[in-house]
Amino acid sequence: MSEANTGAVSQIIGSTFDAEFPEDKLPEIYNALKIAETVKGVEIDVTGEVQQHLGGGKVRCVALGGTDGMVRGMTVTDTGNPLSVPVGKGTLGRVFNVTGDAIDGRGDVEHDEKWSIHRHPPKLEDLSSKTELFETGIKVVDLLTPFVRGGKAGLFGGAGLGKTVILTELIARIASAHGGYSVFAGVGERTREGNDLWLEMQEAKIGDTGRSVIEQTCMVFGQMNEPPGARLRVALSALTMAEWFRDTTGSDTLLFVDNIFRFSQAGSEVSALLGRMPSAVGYQPTLGTELGELQERITSTSKGAITSVQAVYVPADDPTDPAPATAFSHLDAFIYLERKISEKGIYPAIDPLGSSSRILDPQYVGERHYNIARRVQQTLQRYRELQDIIAILGVDELSEDDKLVVHRARRIERFLSQPFLVAEVFTGKPGKITSLDDTIRSFEELCDGKWDHLPESAFMYVGVIEEAEEQYKQMQAEAK
Amino acid sequence: MANARSLVKRLKSVRNIRKITRTMELIATGRFKKAMDRATEAAAYTKKISEIVGDLGQADLKFSHPLLEERPETKNSVLLVLTSNRGLCGGYNGAVLRNTLRHVQQLKEDGIEFSLEVSGKRGIKFLNFQQIELDRTYIHFEDRPTFAEVDQLGLRFVDDYIAGRIDRLDVSYTRFDSISRQEAVVESILPLSSLAGDSDTKGEGGNVDYEFQPSPQEILEELVPAAFRAKLFKCFLDAAVSEQIARMVAMKGATENADEMAGTLKQQYNRARQASITSELAEIIGGAAALE
Repeated sequence: MSEANTGAVSQIIGSTFDAEFPEDKLPEIYNALKIAETVKGVEIDVTGEVQQHLGGGKVRCVALGGTDGMVRGMTVTDTGNPLSVPVGKGTLGRVFNVTGDAIDGRGDVEHDEKWSIHRHPPKLEDLSSKTELFETGIKVVDLLTPFVRGGKAGLFGGAGLGKTVILTELIARIASAHGGYSVFAGVGERTREGNDLWLEMQEAKIGDTGRSVIEQTCMVFGQMNEPPGARLRVALSALTMAEWFRDTTGSDTLLFVDNIFRFSQAGSEVSALLGRMPSAVGYQPTLGTELGELQERITSTSKGAITSVQAVYVPADDPTDPAPATAFSHLDAFIYLERKISEKGIYPAIDPLGSSSRILDPQYVGERHYNIARRVQQTLQRYRELQDIIAILGVDELSEDDKLVVHRARRIERFLSQPFLVAEVFTGKPGKITSLDDTIRSFEELCDGKWDHLPESAFMYVGVIEEAEEQYKQMQAEAK
Repeated sequence: MANARSLVKRLKSVRNIRKITRTMELIATGRFKKAMDRATEAAAYTKKISEIVGDLGQADLKFSHPLLEERPETKNSVLLVLTSNRGLCGGYNGAVLRNTLRHVQQLKEDGIEFSLEVSGKRGIKFLNFQQIELDRTYIHFEDRPTFAEVDQLGLRFVDDYIAGRIDRLDVSYTRFDSISRQEAVVESILPLSSLAGDSDTKGEGGNVDYEFQPSPQEILEELVPAAFRAKLFKCFLDAAVSEQIARMVAMKGATENADEMAGTLKQQYNRARQASITSELAEIIGGAAALE
């Protein structure tokens, strides 16, 4: 390559900046630009990504780091390529930032290759068409919103409903039992949570191999404290690393993203600065495109699979907000966390009626599973319809059939709770892993009325249905 | 605005329910007064007559009436359950039926044959649902049971008891103590001695000296069945008053609940409406500003 292509900063607006290049040597869209200079004794090292060609030799860029201290006239070097991150087995056990630099303080990352974070989604013909259930051991998830192996699952919920807890729980359950590789992307969430997770992963062991989960995992963080550019691109960096595992090793790879909403939010933050007209609810007009480009890459091919779980923040508990609504259409399994359920103290606060899965279909999960899931939903649906009447007239006015429905629905509602492995410190109960067969049998018996005699509180935070009876006996013993 | 529209729909239905409960409350209040008058009038008569029977039962040991005799062994019994024909009366039927179920269980455990007679659609429906067999059902006792109607049952019970076809008659109903106190109970009213036992005139019983004219036997022949029939009628009247009181209280509560719910829904709707206006305005202003 010939001499480096350089330009100069001509304007800085918030987290975007303009750079001037010779007309015939304009950097391409998505090319990474580097600024490394010392201004008044402060070292400034910023990477930018070209977003627009403004004409007159000017390009507009999004800064992937802070723009503090930048001045006009600084030298900008075109790297000639889009941002690229190290990929390969060397990334395992490490923590990265958006630009692919290790931030865990353990020195350089061994790598043979660097891949551009902007890639094309797999071709239509390469997509895998397998549909297989992915067991999590969480009753409500396995029964009502079964995950797809090599598919995408979304955890939707407002502030403080436990999205991150469920995601960490899934990591603890899936990653520790999983032979393949995992990639975690922390997008715009709390830095502390990222740190907790990192430490937890070092402690957690994979099955009985004696190796810690972190050895099979790579983590990429662009948290709340980072500028929008970093939060906008960090998901792509993580995804690129996951893609390498899928395409090169052909193994089943897990990709966890917390939180995909922050990706849309970061896009909206830079959108106005880039001079785009705001669209519905102030989001960027390109919301659908941006998310589509990301989501279409998270997919399974004939070479390997990426199973992904994504947390999606729902602003103001309004699922019709454009950001969660757009994310919704990309997912196979859709879990919606409901505030009313968390208010009752039932965790995971998964809404059994609002959540769904593409594979909750007799064709994939079998007649029995399907029928029981539908019966559970019907019971809860009827209970919800009756709730206004109960609130006004009282439970005595219901017909005998409806009273029975209410009786069972209240038990089912409580039985959907489950103690979590990662929440043991809060609940004081050890986490429970319930196999799919046990889950189906438990709910079938509950719907058939085999456990009508137990009080409601016996069903809180247990695994299999028999544990409810044990809990009841224990409660009685304590009362005496 | 999808949310706001569903709120409006719910608000409407809550208001409609409120209209019904409010009306029911007013109707129950009116009926309660009438039923209450009838019950208090009958109460005086029933009380006096059972007092006399009680006194006689204890005072005159030489002679007894078959209705007063307690059988050494209870083989067959009748359980009469008094419930309402209509709902919207809170826990009224629930309490009676809970007692009834418990009693049925007890009878089964004791190995006593029983036939179940139920008055009121609510009780019939409930017991059918529980798959308990009913021998006789009545739905013609409304909230103003007449003596003639009740007496048909009373006479039959008297005949059956004297003939030895039944050894006991229990009534599961709601006893009316005062306006603020009604209690669901199961009472044995045949043999009548059990009735005399629980009357509060027990202490003075022995002191009254009666002179019989024409003869004690004839008077008892007449008086004892009358006392029983009066007592049975009283059960029906008590049940009727208690039903109206229960309905009044339940509907008052329901109306208040509906008011509260309508208030909350209205507030939620207003908020949703305001929020959508604000966001639309913000979008228009933002869009206009971006174009400049």
